[in-house]
Amino acid sequence: MQEYKQTIEFANGNEMASMAIKQIGYDLMGYYPITPSTQIAENLDLMKAEGKTDLIMIAAEGEHSAAGICYGAAVAGGRVINATSANGLLYALEQFPVQSGTRYPMVMNVACRTVSGPLSIKGDHSDIMYMLNAGWPILFAHSPQQVYDFNLVALKLAETVRLPVVVAYDGFFTSHQKRRCMRFQHDEDVRHFIGEKNEPYPFFDMEHPITVGSYMNEPDLINNRYQLHLAMEEVKNVLPNIFREYGILCGRSYEWSEGYCHEDAKILLVLLGSSFDTATVAVDRLRKQGKKVGVLTLNVLRPFPEEALAKMLQLASHILIADRQDSYGGIGGNLSMEIRAVMQKYGCAGKVKNLVYGLGGKDFYVEDAIAMFELAEQENAINSYYYGVERGDSKQAVSEQERFFAPLLAEQTRISATVVKEEPTEKEQISENSQITRAVDLQGNKQVIGGQINQTTAMPKRLAPGHGACPGCGIPVNVNMLLRAIEEPVVLLFQTGCGMIVTTPYPKTSFKVPYVHNLFQNGAATLSGLAEICYRKQEKGEIPQGDIVFIMVSGDGGMDIGMGSALSTAMRGHRLLLFEYDNGGYMNTGYQYSYSTPKGAVSATSHVGKCQYGKQQFHKDMPQLMAATGIPYVATVAESNPVDFIKKAAKAADYAKKEGCAYVKAISACPLNWNDTPDKERQVIEAAVNCCYFPLYEVERGITILSYNPQKNGKKIPVLDWLSMMGRTKHLVKDEYKMVVESLQEEVDRRFQRLLAKSESPYL
Amino acid sequence: MEKKVILPITDENGYYQIRLESIGGLGANLCGKMLGELGIKYLGLNSASFSSYGSEKTGTPVKGFIRYSSADLDIKLHSPIKTPHLLVVFHDALLSDTSVLKGCGRDTDIIVNSVNGKDRQELFGEQNYHCVYFLDAQKIAIETKSRINVVMLGAIAKVMGFVELEDLYAICKDTLGRKYPASLSQNMEGIRRGYEEVTSSYEIAQKNRTDKTANARIDETADNKTNVRTDEKTDERINKRTDEAVEKVSCGNCQPSSPWGYETAPIGGINPCFGNSVENDLSPSRQGYFPIFIPEKCINCGLCDTTCPDMVFQFQKGEFKGREMMLNKGLDYYHCKGCLRCVSVCPVGALVRGVEAEHPRKKYFMPNQELLRTPDNYEKAGYDGYITSEAFLTEQRIKGGEV
Repeated sequence: MQEYKQTIEFANGNEMASMAIKQIGYDLMGYYPITPSTQIAENLDLMKAEGKTDLIMIAAEGEHSAAGICYGAAVAGGRVINATSANGLLYALEQFPVQSGTRYPMVMNVACRTVSGPLSIKGDHSDIMYMLNAGWPILFAHSPQQVYDFNLVALKLAETVRLPVVVAYDGFFTSHQKRRCMRFQHDEDVRHFIGEKNEPYPFFDMEHPITVGSYMNEPDLINNRYQLHLAMEEVKNVLPNIFREYGILCGRSYEWSEGYCHEDAKILLVLLGSSFDTATVAVDRLRKQGKKVGVLTLNVLRPFPEEALAKMLQLASHILIADRQDSYGGIGGNLSMEIRAVMQKYGCAGKVKNLVYGLGGKDFYVEDAIAMFELAEQENAINSYYYGVERGDSKQAVSEQERFFAPLLAEQTRISATVVKEEPTEKEQISENSQITRAVDLQGNKQVIGGQINQTTAMPKRLAPGHGACPGCGIPVNVNMLLRAIEEPVVLLFQTGCGMIVTTPYPKTSFKVPYVHNLFQNGAATLSGLAEICYRKQEKGEIPQGDIVFIMVSGDGGMDIGMGSALSTAMRGHRLLLFEYDNGGYMNTGYQYSYSTPKGAVSATSHVGKCQYGKQQFHKDMPQLMAATGIPYVATVAESNPVDFIKKAAKAADYAKKEGCAYVKAISACPLNWNDTPDKERQVIEAAVNCCYFPLYEVERGITILSYNPQKNGKKIPVLDWLSMMGRTKHLVKDEYKMVVESLQEEVDRRFQRLLAKSESPYL
Repeated sequence: MEKKVILPITDENGYYQIRLESIGGLGANLCGKMLGELGIKYLGLNSASFSSYGSEKTGTPVKGFIRYSSADLDIKLHSPIKTPHLLVVFHDALLSDTSVLKGCGRDTDIIVNSVNGKDRQELFGEQNYHCVYFLDAQKIAIETKSRINVVMLGAIAKVMGFVELEDLYAICKDTLGRKYPASLSQNMEGIRRGYEEVTSSYEIAQKNRTDKTANARIDETADNKTNVRTDEKTDERINKRTDEAVEKVSCGNCQPSSPWGYETAPIGGINPCFGNSVENDLSPSRQGYFPIFIPEKCINCGLCDTTCPDMVFQFQKGEFKGREMMLNKGLDYYHCKGCLRCVSVCPVGALVRGVEAEHPRKKYFMPNQELLRTPDNYEKAGYDGYITSEAFLTEQRIKGGEV
């Protein structure tokens, strides 16, 4: 007999979602970290490290793959969970109709956030409304408590009607605000409520093999879609029963929609999500003044609760529907359009207005709700408009802004401190700071004259100061080092990441040169298009001739999700430079591990605990992947070897403007998440180079040249010496992690020996 | 839950509201969480807490919001706290941003972490606030080997007046004890000293607090308008300093209005004002230290320029030991965040670490030399830093309370 005892938690929506996921005992989570849903995976990873769950957690390289992992696991009969937000949801979008159309249940939490661009991480409903046509039931929670409850209800619903289900809630307002919540004390009670999973067509029944995902033409497809329609209709019958059953167990009962003082209200406000609670405070205030006002919200978006809403809206004379999202060019946001349709269908007579509010997380105060009630009643108020926009001050208009800097034209940047010479004719030994660069003896290689530190300080900075990077951040250091070597005009593209966020917080920008941002699945492709049009315009004489170096700057995170785009750009051979700053993690979102994070490192998604030692895989070898595309130039650089860095940057730019794609990767410090002190970063990077974790080399026209061999100089140190310098890997010093360190040392040595062998033969 | 605390003062919704003003890295986020949990677990209250959101950076402003109410009341608001009953300033450098004090009125208690509280008193005109308290949390944190946030927690409890030390110790054991058991006793000592050493600078003899306690009992608040403040009342009372900030703010202290609106901003979010981040003054990011330049020792190697993330060093053409080369002419301290990378890279000791408080006037201060015009007004940094994720290191990053 189940007791269904409950216990109090002080938790936010993400924490309650993770708690529910843990208690349900899912088999697998496929995910990709994206704010504000990331905490779910982080919390679960922590529980996993502590041995509280045995959930299989797979951090994909992007949301599209995460959805694919989930789909595969669901087809295999596993209980599957995902969590995402905003552009992550959109990136995976094509997978969702596959999941629902082939009828594989799973649950996905969506912490709603505004969709780019311009990029913003704050909350609104522009992402979730893209899910309306995906064939997934959508539950919408407006409190952390509901997030927990709906997660339990969602899975039971999903497995009953065999559809994947979304649990949506406001990003930040619900996902990050901590409240008093209740949860079941015992996991068994939760599991008992959910029940056993029943697979009508078990995939691994080898005696009865099945085909999933047929190719389907007319007349069959419409029948399949009708089945999906019927399943959604079935939700209408099933969900009230599940809500009721759940309510009996925990005392919290839910319905399709929810109201406050709505029964006798003449004026109704309809709001989705956390704004509902805020508006109830406004209702209390206005009721005291004798105003008959009320507020409604929806607990379910799909199937749309038409009957429930029609009943609640029947008596009101004035209704204002506030959308936290817009269907641009439509008759309002999706919520208001559907409610208008419901009212027409059920003959509700009230006057309806709609407005768009709170986009990009603009806070919603009680005063805003009061203002909306007033608008609802005003006869002459315009019918569809935006609430809370600002006209702007013409005195501060852009045209009035005086320039701070002179534009950086070729004359300013041609300082002749770093010059690239083609095809050296004789063997030369280049020495720098006692570090011996291998003789450049291969025909056709470029040689760099100059590149000395003092002279290159004359290069005007392409980045203005005043950016918001953390003290000691390596990103501006590396970008500046790269650009001080490049004497031609540059065009920059930053993929999403710390580097982009800290340099362009509107209305400020740190860029003094033409700059564009695109989402990190796609930066390299975007730069390809940009560069090709420039070259075409130059051919046609529409813009002046002259070299421009096109540079994409990306973090290692962008090189995970955007690796396909970057590799394909490289293979297409566009004339541009791909620059990666590798700080070994998704630092902008609070440090989740990337594929470049060192093995054993602790991160928000690779905790250390009795059941886990940190990140499980080796770091990705991106330069070798790039080299395999056959581009003319690949190089690794480190700020600890500045002259080498500058020379390679100059070479890369020269290849990028004359021959094709060049790729340069720098190891980049992140004092915040490496958990060391900012002033020690150059030493930490030097150690990464000296332990051969980050070897410095070039692959020039297919020939590998080792730039610096710490073994030869007697500078080689064990990998552990480097790891012990950073808080994120310090724990590896302990004896219990010996095996981890040894395996990393072995891998590092193996990679370095391969490089050595390659540098000794032009055929490798 | 044995205790049932009665809140001494509440707003018209029945909430006691606390706002934390801090800089990323000082642990205000955790402090807010602990306060929230304290309410539920040990005070017999309902509570809600959250921090300002954004991408996570150290050295940039962070706000924390905590609401308490009686246990039977739901906390329905999700919006930031405009009119706090208690404002806690984790770093007195933040007071240079006038919006920090916005919404504070005669019912507001203010706690400021300050090395020298007396120097800061003039910022708080008389009769504007209920009471202003000071403590040197940094010193206490260093002495007790605890952290600023726990010291502030002790001070907060003392000033609120309805939390006992035992409850703080208990919540400290629950949260910090679980995460960092080794430093638990140090943290408890930090809490105790914060509790004991916070002192008021002046007390405004206005309403007797005990009267308020009687009147502001939660079940009565809703109908008792005389002792309950509204936003408007408070706004009347806020002093001139904050008035200036009010003009810049549309709704709420967290969302300053943009200079560009839909009629004036270029379409598509395009920003044609290239390099205008130079207007930001990032000196509040410094945490007590800054690089001092000693030109006599400088060999103009330029390594400082290669390691500085903030384009601070100003090199110009010149002659050094008979050779024509680039010379280091000074530092743009407006943009120096005090990371001290340059100090550790300088091979000749021409850049050394200095304690900022000892150098009110900086030598060799050279604003960015590429500027065509001086910004009319350097804006104190403070955009875009906040908490999105419970990064595993957030709370242990700054050791020994050193900031």
